[in-house]
Order: sequence, then C-alpha cells, then structure tokens
Amino acid sequence: MIETRDLYKDYRIGKVLFPALRGIDMRIEDGEFTAIAGPSGSGKTTLLNIIGCLDVPTKGKILIDGTNINELSSKGKAELRKTQIGFVFQTFNLIPVLTAYENVEIPLILLNLELQKKKERIVAILEEVGLGDFIGRRPNEMSGGQQQRVAIARALVKEPTMVLADEPTANLDSTTAKEILALMQELNEKHETTFIFSTHDQLVMDYSRRTINLRDGRIVEDKRKPKGPR
Amino acid sequence: MKLLNIAWRNVFRHTRRTIITAAAISVGLSSMIFMNTMMNGADKMASRNIIDFETSHLEVFARDYYREEGVFPLDTIIENPKYVNDRIEAIPGIKGVTPRVKFQASISNGIDELPVLGMGIDIENDRRIFETGNSVVAGRFLKNSGDVLIGTDLANDMSLEVGSYITIITKDRNGTYNALDLEVAGLLNTGHPLFDRNMAIIPIAEAQELLALEGGVTEICIRAIDEETLGPLKEKVSDEIGAQYEVFTWKELNAAIFEISGFKRAGQFMIGLVVVIIAAVGIINTMLMAVMERIPEIGTLKAMGFSNSRIVRMFIYEGGIIGALGSALGCLIGMLISIYLVQVGLDFSGLFENVDIVYPMKFIIKGEIDYVNMLYVFLFGIIVSVMVTLWPVRKATKLEPVDALRHV
Repeated sequence: MIETRDLYKDYRIGKVLFPALRGIDMRIEDGEFTAIAGPSGSGKTTLLNIIGCLDVPTKGKILIDGTNINELSSKGKAELRKTQIGFVFQTFNLIPVLTAYENVEIPLILLNLELQKKKERIVAILEEVGLGDFIGRRPNEMSGGQQQRVAIARALVKEPTMVLADEPTANLDSTTAKEILALMQELNEKHETTFIFSTHDQLVMDYSRRTINLRDGRIVEDKRKPKGPR
Repeated sequence: MKLLNIAWRNVFRHTRRTIITAAAISVGLSSMIFMNTMMNGADKMASRNIIDFETSHLEVFARDYYREEGVFPLDTIIENPKYVNDRIEAIPGIKGVTPRVKFQASISNGIDELPVLGMGIDIENDRRIFETGNSVVAGRFLKNSGDVLIGTDLANDMSLEVGSYITIITKDRNGTYNALDLEVAGLLNTGHPLFDRNMAIIPIAEAQELLALEGGVTEICIRAIDEETLGPLKEKVSDEIGAQYEVFTWKELNAAIFEISGFKRAGQFMIGLVVVIIAAVGIINTMLMAVMERIPEIGTLKAMGFSNSRIVRMFIYEGGIIGALGSALGCLIGMLISIYLVQVGLDFSGLFENVDIVYPMKFIIKGEIDYVNMLYVFLFGIIVSVMVTLWPVRKATKLEPVDALRHV
C-alpha cells in the first residue's frame, strides 16, 4: 500500500520557485491499476518519481507499506528500488549494447539468484510479454513496442510489489499503445503487482480502473470504474 | 552477465573511437619502449667498449695516481709490476692480468702534429683480456719494436696508412722531451672513439724506455671471470697487494659517463611523461564522451537500484579495457621496433662523424630489450587509463537519479 500525506514539492529554477506538487493526499492499495493523469506540468512525473524513491518531497510524508521512505538513507532507497519497485520509462531506456535477454537480466545482477533460476525467470517473463522469439535481439533490431515490452519485462523480472510507468505509451502509435496497455493490465491481474502510470493520453485513462487527475500539483478528481475495456 | 561483460560491449559501442584512443596510448607506450631499448643498447655498447678496450674490469694504480679522468701523471707509478702482477694472478676468479703504460703525447707525420694518448701494452697478455687485437682492420697487430697501432680515424686525419712512418713526441718522467720514430703496423677500428681517433699503441718496453720508467707501469688491468661480482673481487685484490696501491672498478673510473647516462634517462623520462600526458588527454576525452552520452543510462541503472560504486566499477572496467588494448598494442609495436633495433640497429655514423663525443661508442647503436621495463610500461598504460576514467564517472554518479534520467 502506498500512502501520501500532504505532499509538497518545489523546484527552484534560477531564482523562481516552481511548485510542482501542492498537497497530495492519496492511497493506492496493493494490486491496483492506476493512472495518474493530467496535462504536462501538472506534477504527474514528479509524483511518480517521489513514489519511486528517485526524488524527495519538499514537505509531507510518503508511506510504502507503513514505512516513511523520506527517512530512508539513499542506500535504503536504492535497496527499495532494487527489490520492490520496477520502472518503465517513456523512452524505454534499454541499454543498446545488450540483447533483450541481457537487458532483462540487469536488475537480477543485483539479486543473488541461482543461475538456472535466473535463466528460467528471464525466459518466462520475455515469453509472457510476447518476445519469446526475440530473446537475442538488440534494441536497435526491435520496434518501439517491442522495446517497451522488453522494458516491462525488465521491470517485472525481479518480482516487485509495484511497477511505475512514466508515460509508457507516449512514444508509441495508438495500436501499439493499446497492446502495451492490454499487456500491462494482464500482467497486473496475473502477478497482482501494483501498476501506477502517468499519462495525458485519454486511451490510457480508459484502460485504468482508477484515474487520479492532477492539475497544478493538486488532485482534482479521483475516479474509479469496475473494469476497463478489452 | 557480469559488469566486465557489459563494459566490454560498451567499449565496442564506438569501435572507431576506441581504436583511436587505444592507438594514442600505444604510440605513447611504444615510443617509451623504443627509447628504453635505445638507451639500454647505447649503455651496453659503451660499457662493452670500456671493458673490452679501455679498462677491463678492474684497474690497479699506485696510490694517488688516479686523480681524474683524462690525466696521466708519471710521478706515481707502479714500480714493480711483476710483484703486483704475480700476486693478483694467484687470486681465484681472475681471468687475466696485463700491465699498461698510458702517457700524453703527440704524433707527427712530418707536416702535422696531433695530440694523442700514448699507450704501451704487453703484446702477449694484452690480447688475452682486451679485444684490441681483434679489431685490426689493416696491417697486423704489434710484433716488433718500432711498431705502432693507430685508429682508422686518426690515420685518415693525418693521411697515414700501413707502413707510414710517424714520430711520437712526449715528456718523460723527468720532464725531458723525448721522441721515437715508429712505423704504422696496423689500423684499428674498434667502435670506441678514443681508440679510433686519439690513440697510439706501442709495445710496453718501448714506452717504458721512452718515458724513463725503468720497468714501471702506470696501471695493471684485470679481467674477472664473473662480471657481476666485481665488488668482492676488488676487495680481495686490494687486500692482496697492500695499501700502496689502489683498485678501481671500470664503473668507478667512468662515473662521468654514467652520469651522462643518468641525464639521458631523466630526459627520456620527461619525453615519456609528455607522451603519456598526450595519451591521457585522449582517454579523458573518450571517457568524458562515453560518460556524458550515457548519463540517462546511468540514471536508469540507478533507478534499478545500482549503487554508485557498481557504476563507477563498470566504467573503470571500460577505461581499463581500452588501456589494456592500447598497452598491449603499444608493447607489441615497441617490441617489434626493439627487435629491429637489436637485430639491425640504428646507424649514427653519419651523425657523429665530426663530433667529439665523450660517450664511448659510435657507428651503429644496437638495442637491448628490457622485458621487465616493458611489463611496467604495460601496467602503467592500464593504470593511467583507469585513473583518468575516475574523474568524469565520479562526477556523473553524483547526479541524483531523476536529474540523470532527465539529462539530454
């Protein structure tokens, strides 16, 4: 469970103070499939980064399973990212010199897994995201959609409690975007992993069961619906 | 999948850049090896010239005879060489002993007069411990009284040839001028400038008579069986012959030359340093680019929980691999050049033709490979590469993951 209490974040650009988040209170239960929506500059990426321990709030608390992550050292945060949090980025951020298999292997370098177990996990997750035949391909030999599938596999391979996706479909065409969203939803149901993603795309919002709308650093709407279209 | 493996792939992400950087390192290192080979070769040649022609391993003088190089007094000489000679010959570890008489003189061909170093040698014994007898290129070695050996360069300077007559003029022990007519028996080509340009060698008996030495000699040259243990041998000889004599090793007698050699080494080090700095700038540039263009990648790794030290290690491996490639290539090229220098050598005869160098060698300098030095150079290349990698990487890892991810 993720809980934020009165979360503020200010950025200082030159001499101007720019408030990105102005009092965010929310709760996301385990296994939710949540979109954080809003126009650019509304603070979605900032919120996601703070939840992902990549950034620190100026004021307020953020609790993950009851632990206030502000109080963690940078080592403790790295530990949390290593085991609990998977990231998917807008620009995929795969390492170009490595194959799909090797890219997915990277997070596992940090975990002490048996070689055989490691192999099984990587192959299984790549098959799950539909890339069973692309294991040996490098990023430049794959389409954007395929690359994002690798990124999703990379985020999920360590079996985290949550996956944070910052604009995962922004660099994809709408057909591919739909496929990626369907995949994420499927994985969310199957693995019971919490998925939180930011977007300004109506399509993405349609897929989510819960949409938190942000505007100027505040929550303006928190909408739930039973199930997204398939 | 190991960090080293990832680093290896990253090294070949920009093959051309890697090759150019490695090439810069290899040029630097191979020139360091080249210089080292040359210096070693030159020093070895100089040493051989000194040992084989000039002093042999040890020299005995009467006490207070030896004041500085190039001075040949006649007031303090070894009056009873036979006694000294016999005592030395009895010491184990001695290969040969021979007396010599050195004196300042000038020779005249009837038109010109040139200052030379006169040297009286024991015709039989001298051949046993010196190479002089094997360096006669025209005519023959000393045989009869009245024979003189001179170097080819001196012969050219004075238009002399085998069979020419010269007069040697000197002051004897009592300060009286004395002269002797001699016939050129043979011409020497030793490779030692002193011998080829400034020396007149005559039988020792005639030198003794010319200088009124009454059987005395200026020095006794000793050749050891083992060249490496001259220190203890010197002590033994010194103990055996007593305090009215002094013993010097060939190195002590030529300290000035090895001082020059030290200067050359310092110069070599400075050149090496400049070359290494140039190569290091190349690596810094490459690694700086490699780091800057991969800052978002560093951010991604950090987001996945990679620690700074792990990321730094990955880049150190990259710098190390480039360094190792450059070093290996540099050592290979250096070795090939060195082998050429050992086999063929560099011909400096044209360069030094009319220069009076004090350094006792000339003609073709042959190299001498120092494999230990090569190993140091190899490790040095890698260490420098790793060191200069640290700076840009540490800067990049200091960025917060968010800033690194956002970096374009």
